[in-house]
Amino acid sequence: MTTTVRRRAQPYALTAPALAVIGVLFVFPAVYNVVLAFQRLSPFESPGDAVWVGFANFSALFRDPQTRTSAVNTVLWLTATTVVLRLVLGMGLALLLQSRVLGRWGLRGVARTLVLVPWMLPPVVAVASWRWLLDANSGVVNQVLVGLGLVDRGIPFLASTDTVWWSVVAIIVWRELPFVVIVLMAGLQSIPQEQYEAASLDAAGRLQSFWYVTVPNLRPVITVIVLVTVIQTFNNFVYVWLTTGGGPGTYTQVLATQLYSAAFIANDLGRGAAIGIVMTCVMAVFAVIYLRVSNEREETP
Amino acid sequence: MKRISTTVAAALATTVALTGCGGSSGDSSGGGSSGAQLVFRQFDPANEVQGLQEAVDRWNSENPDVQVEMQTLSPNNIQQFAREANSGSGPDIQQLGFVDVSFVADPGILLPLDDLMASSPMESGPDELLATDMVEFDDQTWALPWTADTMALVYRPDALEQAGLDGPPTTWEELASDAEAISSSSDGQTAGFCFAGAGAATGAQWFAINYYIWANGGNLVEEAAPGDWQPGISEADLASAIDYFAGLFESGATPESYLTVADYSDPSIVNGLSSGSCAMSYEPPQTFDLIDGQAGGSVTTAPMPDGLTDGSTHLGGRALGINANTENPEEAWEFVKYLASETTFESYDQYPASPSTLEALDVPESQQGFVEQLPHSRSFARYIGSPMTVASLQQLVNQQFSAVYSGQATSQAAARAILDGLESGLQG
Repeated sequence: MTTTVRRRAQPYALTAPALAVIGVLFVFPAVYNVVLAFQRLSPFESPGDAVWVGFANFSALFRDPQTRTSAVNTVLWLTATTVVLRLVLGMGLALLLQSRVLGRWGLRGVARTLVLVPWMLPPVVAVASWRWLLDANSGVVNQVLVGLGLVDRGIPFLASTDTVWWSVVAIIVWRELPFVVIVLMAGLQSIPQEQYEAASLDAAGRLQSFWYVTVPNLRPVITVIVLVTVIQTFNNFVYVWLTTGGGPGTYTQVLATQLYSAAFIANDLGRGAAIGIVMTCVMAVFAVIYLRVSNEREETP
Repeated sequence: MKRISTTVAAALATTVALTGCGGSSGDSSGGGSSGAQLVFRQFDPANEVQGLQEAVDRWNSENPDVQVEMQTLSPNNIQQFAREANSGSGPDIQQLGFVDVSFVADPGILLPLDDLMASSPMESGPDELLATDMVEFDDQTWALPWTADTMALVYRPDALEQAGLDGPPTTWEELASDAEAISSSSDGQTAGFCFAGAGAATGAQWFAINYYIWANGGNLVEEAAPGDWQPGISEADLASAIDYFAGLFESGATPESYLTVADYSDPSIVNGLSSGSCAMSYEPPQTFDLIDGQAGGSVTTAPMPDGLTDGSTHLGGRALGINANTENPEEAWEFVKYLASETTFESYDQYPASPSTLEALDVPESQQGFVEQLPHSRSFARYIGSPMTVASLQQLVNQQFSAVYSGQATSQAAARAILDGLESGLQG
């Protein structure tokens, strides 16, 4: 092999392993999922046994009244509510952790560590712990409420339609909040101190400084946080499935749990794949926005 | 270049080593051993299978040429086994839930047992076994019924006595009134009837609901003619069943807190029965053992309401299948026969699917509820073969009953939703 040929082949040789990994782990499963959405196949059959059914899986999906309910739950409760709450609470916590008071008392390190604790727990453990805390019989939350005389008997938080979604939202926000706090803290630390000093010279109060200095500086960070958390949460299956199983009834059913039920309880992989494609299409919109925002940030001098 | 070659060689070596790990475990030629190496995979929790491990160890010491490794993969994941078998690997012998056998009754996944049974018959004929209707399809036997269980009424005699009750209820109406009496007479300190009321897909209320429906002459689905499956219950009867279970919560017979309980082995039920805050529930034998141990003999069993009527309760259990990919089918069959023998059940704390073996075992007095009920129990074969899986039926029913408990739907609306779901699902 001549030196010239070797030099020309080198970029291809170096990128080939990465491309192979992407092809095998990402491209092939994605393409196969599209194929599967047009087939009928059970998890007990091999791919060769699949039967082509055209758009039947999609038409069944859109005829199913549960799909509409699941979509509303996914967008409104699972995603929008938790993302907004994470952003608001995350901002509050990030500001608190950056505050001079905590630094003066030497509590900044401890507080930052404590905020990270939920993130260190695996989601399954976090959900199991919360299920126990919210248990109507022996849960700590109910024991406290009954002990304080606020309620006569334990509230079935995860079985009552009045409380179940707020309980699920609380678990998700608690577990996922640290990510938002960390990113916002990084954003806060990058804001030049001179801008606050200038605002102070202009007689701006704390609220005005927050509104006219902090928020504009954090806007790119907030945009990224919203996009990333939306993408992470929209597809999430673990929290709802482990907490309520989609119940009571189908009250907390979301698209991800509907997908699981179709594919692995009704043993219809094609129908599950069709739901997956619909979810992917929705998420693709957010992914494109995210990529555009990321690119704009990189291009900004 | 030399460094790259070394790296590639190391990667290849690693790959070969990993491939070796993932290869067929049933390979009898590997490792320099002259005998057969079998893998037996079971899915019950590790703390329930110490007796089974003892039986496997006994086999290994008595059969040096056929060594068996017992794998525990809990909880049950039949799809995992199907994936492995479809790709030419997997354990030699697989424990199967009765309702799962129909999914894997395929020559590409399981080995039909008829030839092996003919060439090396069992001590007691397979016709004597319970639940053969769950393992025979297309005139072939795909697995051997191994263990049998059902749900019996588990109760605390002291709680019933304190409420002025002479004995356990024998009908569903008695169960509701007795449970209400226990709850009210104890001022809510003792729950009359604790059951898992959550709408989870695998929720255990499924068993009680079916028992109630079967006791009242219904079936969720029925095969009206070969291949023609229809709902087997009217809307009014289904609504009545929903009202019955919702009524348990409304009357206080079952506290509302059980609306979040999905499993019969949930601590609130197990500990409730052990501690006395729960008077009655229903449990399979292995969970009863656990409760009995905790309660120090304060709990006992009786047949479920109407449980001595044929077909009013379910016959569950485990079967043993042989992987179609095994390289040692004869040895695997001999091991399956051993697992089904009386010798195994001397250390393995389960009921055998063979009534003659069950009779030979010494079952404690407190478990007589299971023994009395088992001969009258019938398998879920009544639902097998319909276009809807048993798991789908369970999810649909649990969801809609739970919707009524939580006030989302009326019993009529939930009954209609179940029938609509059945009609749609049965169309395929």
